[in-house]
Amino acid sequence: MGKLKFYLALWAAKLSQPALKLTGHNGTNFPGELALRICPDFMRYICKPEHVIAVTGTNGKTTVSNLLCDILEMDGKKVLDNRFGSNISSGISTSLVRGATIFNRSKYHVAVLEVDERSSQRIYPYMKPDLLVVTNLFRDSIMRNAHPQYIADFLTASVPPETKLVVNADDLIAASVAPDNPRVWFGIRKMDTDVTECVNLINDIRICPKCSADLKYEYLRYHHIGKAYCPKCGFRAPDYDVEGRDVDLEHMTMTIGDREGSATYRLLSDGVFNIYNMVTAAALLRQLGMTHEKIAGYMDKTHIVETRYNVEPVGKVELVMQMAKEKNALACSRAFDYVSHQPGQKELFLMMNCLGDEKHWSENVCWLYDCDFEFLAKDDIAHIVATGPRARDYRLRLLLAGVDAERIDCEEDEFAAAKLLRFEPGSRVYMFYGTDSLALAYKVRETVKTLAEEAAK
Amino acid sequence: MKIEVLYPELCNLYGDLANAEYLARSCGAELVRTGLHDAPRFLTEDVALVYMGGTTERGQSLVRDAFAPHLEGLVRRTDAGGVTLITGNAMEIFGEYIQNEDGSKEAMLNLFPFHADRHMLSRYNSLYLGKLDDMDIVGFKSQFGHSYGLNGDGLFRTVRGAGLNPDVKAEGIRRDNLMLTYLLGPLVVLNPPFAKYLLSLMGVAEPVLAFEEAAMDVYTHRLAQFSEPERGFIYH
Repeated sequence: MGKLKFYLALWAAKLSQPALKLTGHNGTNFPGELALRICPDFMRYICKPEHVIAVTGTNGKTTVSNLLCDILEMDGKKVLDNRFGSNISSGISTSLVRGATIFNRSKYHVAVLEVDERSSQRIYPYMKPDLLVVTNLFRDSIMRNAHPQYIADFLTASVPPETKLVVNADDLIAASVAPDNPRVWFGIRKMDTDVTECVNLINDIRICPKCSADLKYEYLRYHHIGKAYCPKCGFRAPDYDVEGRDVDLEHMTMTIGDREGSATYRLLSDGVFNIYNMVTAAALLRQLGMTHEKIAGYMDKTHIVETRYNVEPVGKVELVMQMAKEKNALACSRAFDYVSHQPGQKELFLMMNCLGDEKHWSENVCWLYDCDFEFLAKDDIAHIVATGPRARDYRLRLLLAGVDAERIDCEEDEFAAAKLLRFEPGSRVYMFYGTDSLALAYKVRETVKTLAEEAAK
Repeated sequence: MKIEVLYPELCNLYGDLANAEYLARSCGAELVRTGLHDAPRFLTEDVALVYMGGTTERGQSLVRDAFAPHLEGLVRRTDAGGVTLITGNAMEIFGEYIQNEDGSKEAMLNLFPFHADRHMLSRYNSLYLGKLDDMDIVGFKSQFGHSYGLNGDGLFRTVRGAGLNPDVKAEGIRRDNLMLTYLLGPLVVLNPPFAKYLLSLMGVAEPVLAFEEAAMDVYTHRLAQFSEPERGFIYH
């Protein structure tokens, strides 16, 4: 009965795909949803590629997944991914439907699937990854993810015992996931920009996991990411199996290596987050036997997805689209930190509102007080426009962060707010938006571009 | 004047620490932070307000152990009129026990006769609208369970949202100036009237808040929004 149900689910889902394509609805999770509705353990029976790689973690999973897919494809592999679907069970199922024939044979060599952390209990019991990348675990949506230790425990409860982990050793919370599983540790050795005391509002592992004494850091990158040790009991963060080192932001290179060799990699971005994403992808690819020379060569031909960071000259300014996920204090803090360290005069347009919440409820704004708005209190950030439903909350938070009142404008309507931008010649205008406001941001961008061109006349 | 933040290395979730910082900034108080391995300053020093924010489930156990020897000191402080604010799930540390979904119970400090039910797969998220006397209170809840066993008036009287549990209107606990609430995050920042009320209890005459105009603008807007009858209150 189970198998019959499964084939019914597979065929129904397969049939729905051309229908969706014809009606312009391809890219939805409907086939997977349908399959799961007909056969709740559909993922157990569907044929998977020979190698299944899952990528999870709070930040970086999309970028790492895309890097892995691109590189494996360059290497001649047929890669099944979920980059055009969601990372929850229905999206994964949709990808698996796409990857199987009507006779339930896999059409791909390898699957690289981005998996939402909170969906792991619905996925891993049925789709057991050979390799699971844990990029990092940070505070995310307060409502869904509570706190990172909760997510770590959640993953620990659902990761199959045979899955090998590729884990960030610089993140002690990620490091605590599935402690009995085999694993490869990756990390980045001390960088010039590292510190030893946390400057961020969020640091989610301040005490030793063994003895609760205050942790110290040989080097600390941001938040709880760094090389921690306990001066009381001797506990230390794990040593790296695959490491990034000699990060050279001037020449945009770094070395990634392990016991068996190393290579010089061209940096795809000067943001530390993306440097981690590169090391993460390299650590995973090393588990598939690819040499560093090969990985570095392929990686050189890739790029970071445009929706996350994009610079464009418009009029007499440069317009930068900077994704900063809403309700994610850490993602926004990282984006603020990065932008605040960019040279030149800057003007910011903050629209990381959760529009979905606003429609039905009201966005929980606690995250604004976890987020380092303090990075924006700098002289070269000449003007900030706060907009969207939470514009007033941004204004108050900016004031508390030390931004001068005369540098802040506040306007709820995003298109009207665009008219408040000053477009100082030679400056950069950064538009901060989240996943929820992405579509709106790109519409507002058109208005901003028109205004920037008019200002240049 | 001093404001003491207890266990900030653990009790720091969801922007909670902004509460003590905002009060300190509004009255010029010195902010002192007491770690897990130190004795609270309020035991031996004049502290105008003691604050403890929300924490992880492991954090609750660690804080319980760290604070147990000082519980009597908190009772003495409260009896003497001392002001203390405890927010988020830190409140549960002061009940009898927390019951997990598998039926196991973790004993807590037993200062108040209630227990919390913890359901790690069922997070309760809601907006909150309530009253403290004539004062409107707006806030957020995001928690793994509710509390049961108390029948008093609570700290706030619920207008919309859940009280200590969805079946009661009383939200939080109050004993003299010891105030505990499930509301989390920057509760004090989001409620300027409540911030002023706390400052008054702390002995600040005619308190003026930091960026009061901007804070009132946020508060007024949120209060109007939360008062809309059609506005959803429980996140699904």
